[in-house]
Amino acid sequence: MKDEVTAADSSSRAPLLVLLLAALAWLVAAGLLGLVASIQLHSPRFLSDCPVLTYGRMAALAETAFVYGWLANAGLALALWILGRLAGEPLRAQGWAVGGAVFWNLGVAAALGGVATGDATGFALLGLPAYVHMILLFSYSAIAVTGILSWSGRMRRVPYASQWYAAAALFTFPWILSIAHVMLFSAPARGVVQAVAAGWYAQCAWTLWLAPLGLSVAYYVVPRATGRVLPSYEFASLGFWCLVFVGGLTGGRHLLGGPVPAWIASVAVVSAALLLFHVLIVFLNLRGCFSGGGIALRFTAFGIAAYAVGALADAATSFHGVAAQTQFTYFDEAARQLALYGAVSTMLFGGIYFAVPRITGRAWFSAGLVRAHLLLTIGGILLLAGALCGAALVQGRDLADSAVAFAAIAHHTRPWLAAATAAQAILLLGNMALAMNFVGTACRILNVSEPASFNPPSAMEAHAP
Amino acid sequence: MNGKPQRDPRVDQAAATDESLLDAHERLLGRHPDDGARYRLLPIGILFALSALVLFSGTYLNRYAGHYSASIYNENAKPSIGGAAAPKMDPLAVGEIQFKNVCITCHQAGGQGIPGTYPPLAGSEWVTGSPARAVRIVVYGLKGDVHVQGHLFNAAAMPVFGQQVTGSVYNWNDERIAAVLTYVRHAWGNNADPVSADDVTAIRKAVGDRREMTEAELEQVK
Repeated sequence: MKDEVTAADSSSRAPLLVLLLAALAWLVAAGLLGLVASIQLHSPRFLSDCPVLTYGRMAALAETAFVYGWLANAGLALALWILGRLAGEPLRAQGWAVGGAVFWNLGVAAALGGVATGDATGFALLGLPAYVHMILLFSYSAIAVTGILSWSGRMRRVPYASQWYAAAALFTFPWILSIAHVMLFSAPARGVVQAVAAGWYAQCAWTLWLAPLGLSVAYYVVPRATGRVLPSYEFASLGFWCLVFVGGLTGGRHLLGGPVPAWIASVAVVSAALLLFHVLIVFLNLRGCFSGGGIALRFTAFGIAAYAVGALADAATSFHGVAAQTQFTYFDEAARQLALYGAVSTMLFGGIYFAVPRITGRAWFSAGLVRAHLLLTIGGILLLAGALCGAALVQGRDLADSAVAFAAIAHHTRPWLAAATAAQAILLLGNMALAMNFVGTACRILNVSEPASFNPPSAMEAHAP
Repeated sequence: MNGKPQRDPRVDQAAATDESLLDAHERLLGRHPDDGARYRLLPIGILFALSALVLFSGTYLNRYAGHYSASIYNENAKPSIGGAAAPKMDPLAVGEIQFKNVCITCHQAGGQGIPGTYPPLAGSEWVTGSPARAVRIVVYGLKGDVHVQGHLFNAAAMPVFGQQVTGSVYNWNDERIAAVLTYVRHAWGNNADPVSADDVTAIRKAVGDRREMTEAELEQVK
């Protein structure tokens, strides 16, 4: 029986810990920025005297730090770790990953500086000023080199679902960023084509880059932690290709009723519905996570549930009748938080709780902080999504009524937005618990005498349930 | 510990090794739906779910995609069978475009032609006179001597424009010919009645296919 912590883990430590440490630092920073932006939504005077601290920049800063700081770093760390584990050997070309990680985070810091001084582009999920695109592109590709080497050196000729999703995510980000850069900055398309290109990027960043990073982790954690073969695994590849082919086409639904040819929105509506097939397969495959288990499984279960609910909500709100109520309201924000926080982040949390003891060879520093993080995260996300949906209902109802003044609408949504602020504070507390716990655990590496005790895992039973 | 998960939140125990995970799932991929003589309902269910989604998608796109046209912005626009009716255009505008694309080469921008070579259109009795003559000139072309405003022109021939006429290099439909005639009969101080596409069609049908007209033949047309 092989040891649970392999030489592959301890000798791959450097790039993974650098990426994870940066990820958690950005996570806490994004939480702080998001909290300020959330307060400003219902109390506009808060910190409004300094241009750097105004809502527009705060919201863009929070989004940029969250997506490119937290999700990208953590997703890459876990993708490299999983690809390395399934290759059964230490990561190769680690210098590329470490160097890439350093430059990626310098790039993200430069992007935040640019956004704070007013260079944000104004495109959703692509607030990055144009001048950091190249450094992000090349540093991401450098980190990806390590992952691709692990992919090509994998143990089995037939790759496993985690490997498909991780490898896909390594390729998609450079692809979509370079296209968005050309279409929006270096040779900007004119008129509505620009809105179409920006919508395409925002959708692809979610469906083709971040979601696969999260799914890669979930597909790895669930069978490893439950010890059971994934049910209906033979359909997993259908789910994967469905996401690859259809995922990028769903961006146009945000342009519903806009000045774009009707087919763009209609194709997006249909794609959002077809994407439900992908979600169905993922749900069937990973349903074992709902039967309970350790911390990693609980986070994963929440993430899968949020992923499914989010996809259903996306499909439903892309229809004209429903969109008439929800478009241009806080519902968009609720759906995005459910996707980026509720789905991808929790899957990554699950992966982090599973991976860090193996990477460091040490148990987590504090059991209390682990439990606190789980409770605060689940509570915070439910409250956040619920409060924003409540605000969206009020806003959608009032916007449709021409007798209600705009200021009155803002007033009616205030209690809901205050609840959303409370949720942001709860999430921030939870993420600070995770960051402290991680730093404590990492410091234990220096302490040779406390290795984590892993039970030797058994072999997975050969037959599917 | 035999796979029983231990509930210390500080270390998530694994219940299976990486190798066995890869092995077990690789084995699944080659499996047939009725493996082991057990008939499984799920694959059929998944097939039906996919079919239902594809059916919905096709129906929705057929109804709301506006034929993928770049100019249809309203998804509720009724899809028209056999293409939408061509929008009505101002014949003067169409004629001007045709004139500036083609006729202008010889007859010049002001319709004054080139003395001795290309006859003028501005003030020409052939242009503003009988529409039946003007239509024949454009549809069938004109060869040989022609007198315009008392001057003789015979250095060049008027090319054939008509649709399905032997030797036609342009193959313009009747609507275009009517539009360009309407334009030249109206421009540069000319002030004659417009020519309709039906007039052109009637003449083309009546005369049939033939070679270029001559001045003598045209003078017999009233």
